[in-house]
Amino acid sequence: MDRTVLLISTLLALVGAVWGAVSVHRGSRTWWTLAFIGGAFAAQLVFLELRGQMRGACPLRDHGEILVFLAWSLTLFYLFVGRPYRLSLVGLFTAPVVVLFQAAALWPGVMSVEPVRCVGVDAWREAHAAVSVLAYGAFALAAVTGVMFLVLDRQLKEHHLQSGLFRNLPPVRELLRAVMRLLWIGYLLLTLGIIAGWLMPHRGGWSHLIAAVAVWVLYGALLAWKQMRGFTGRRLSLLAVVLFLLSLGVFGVI
Amino acid sequence: MELICVGLNHRTAPVEVRELFAVAPSKLGEASADLRSKIGVEEAVVISTCNRTEIYVSGGYEVVAQLEELLGGAEHCYHSSRMEAAVHLCRVASGLDSMVLGETEIFGQVKDAYQAAHQAGVTRGVLNRLFQKAFSIGKKVRTETGIQEGATSIGNVAVDLAEKIFGHLKDSEVMILGAGEMSRVTAQSLQSRGARSIFVANRSYDRALDLAQQMNGHAVRFDDWQLVLGQVDVVIGSTGAPHTIVHKADVEAVRRKRKFRPLFFIDIAVPRDIDPAVAEIEEVYLYDIDTLEQIASEARVRRSKQIEVCEEMIREELQKAQLPGL
Repeated sequence: MDRTVLLISTLLALVGAVWGAVSVHRGSRTWWTLAFIGGAFAAQLVFLELRGQMRGACPLRDHGEILVFLAWSLTLFYLFVGRPYRLSLVGLFTAPVVVLFQAAALWPGVMSVEPVRCVGVDAWREAHAAVSVLAYGAFALAAVTGVMFLVLDRQLKEHHLQSGLFRNLPPVRELLRAVMRLLWIGYLLLTLGIIAGWLMPHRGGWSHLIAAVAVWVLYGALLAWKQMRGFTGRRLSLLAVVLFLLSLGVFGVI
Repeated sequence: MELICVGLNHRTAPVEVRELFAVAPSKLGEASADLRSKIGVEEAVVISTCNRTEIYVSGGYEVVAQLEELLGGAEHCYHSSRMEAAVHLCRVASGLDSMVLGETEIFGQVKDAYQAAHQAGVTRGVLNRLFQKAFSIGKKVRTETGIQEGATSIGNVAVDLAEKIFGHLKDSEVMILGAGEMSRVTAQSLQSRGARSIFVANRSYDRALDLAQQMNGHAVRFDDWQLVLGQVDVVIGSTGAPHTIVHKADVEAVRRKRKFRPLFFIDIAVPRDIDPAVAEIEEVYLYDIDTLEQIASEARVRRSKQIEVCEEMIREELQKAQLPGL
């Protein structure tokens, strides 16, 4: 049942991505992408609820669950942070990442078919896991917005201004502001996640927390450098993408 | 009673003729009302813009000669009746008959002319229904076709690009190098879209002061333009200098001060003011006059390809409407 719901969510995001891409290629805008991603989000919620009941805890116990939680967090930030700032096409760029994460989660062996019910749930551990994955959702959306900037930057630099994609992408300055805003949100959430991680019992050692702190230091350095000396838009966007990809490594150290 | 249109425009009459028959916006209602007494028509609307003066009446075909006489004789006039006159009005309202294809200002001008005539009490069944239909068709043409897509002049292309880079221009500052007409027009367009302040640097400081005053901006001595480069977002180059003025090293020198913020160079000078190597800097977007003209020209071609689609839409809509007088 849970896998079926996840499959529905993935298909909805896929249809949203394809629908959005076709519309943009034709030079028009569509609300259907938002509708499909909204549907995918609803299905994600149902999936997480089902897995939560199976686990008797926050469903963040295997790589599959983490990937889905990350996709949910990314979608959440798109819907509730990206949309109010009227950044068009964020949905179009977000949907393929959601599809990718969820398709990976559906891959045989990535997510346990019969999840083991947790005993002795620790509140700090739950808080650490949930808040940290939310932080990575914000970092993921910052990376997605960074990719949008890189596409627009290239088109402006090379004077390729006729595509529907160019016409519909938000302005350079707004994209860069969005990247910074999302990086700050992610950083604050990650800080809270690390504090919670510090307070939780460490039966499996400290390696996961050390990796999380390393990610926190890297993002902190990026933000500090941007505040003090500045970055070109291209470097900021590339770093947002690279750091997010690197930070995924944290989930390998669970 | 049939619908008649008589007029002259930028294609049939030179400006010295057009200006003789132009009617001030405040006099349009009066001019429409005068036609009733002068030539005895029931309904009349006079449209007058810098590119055209047109009269629409509901009457017999014999009034054409009288209306042409009012517009200085048949030499510079065109006329049409019934369906063709209605199609012409819709083409005008949709911007298909304008000097700049698809321009939007004409729609408001036609609307104002109709309202003036309506208030003067010289529109009834034929012209009321015709103009209402022309407005709805004009809107449909603009929204459902690509007739107003893309900027068709160098100035508008530059402004559109500035908005693509900076979004709202209210936080943006502009520097003009050279106090020429092109740079003034472009800077004014940026200002009309909200650009916060304008700096003018010119070899003749007096001309810089003049232009800065006209634009509510600040004059800068030509030797000091590099100092301002650190704070502005858009630079328009239009000096008459025989060599480039802005070099890569000038921009490199202010990058840290600018915290690597995007910088948009519009080079409308020939020979060019901005060294093309400036575009190698990551945060710089450089567009010279050829590139801007090419973009504008592509938009004009795209618009002209839409004419047939628009005309088909106009005829289809008018046929469906079954208006009186056609």
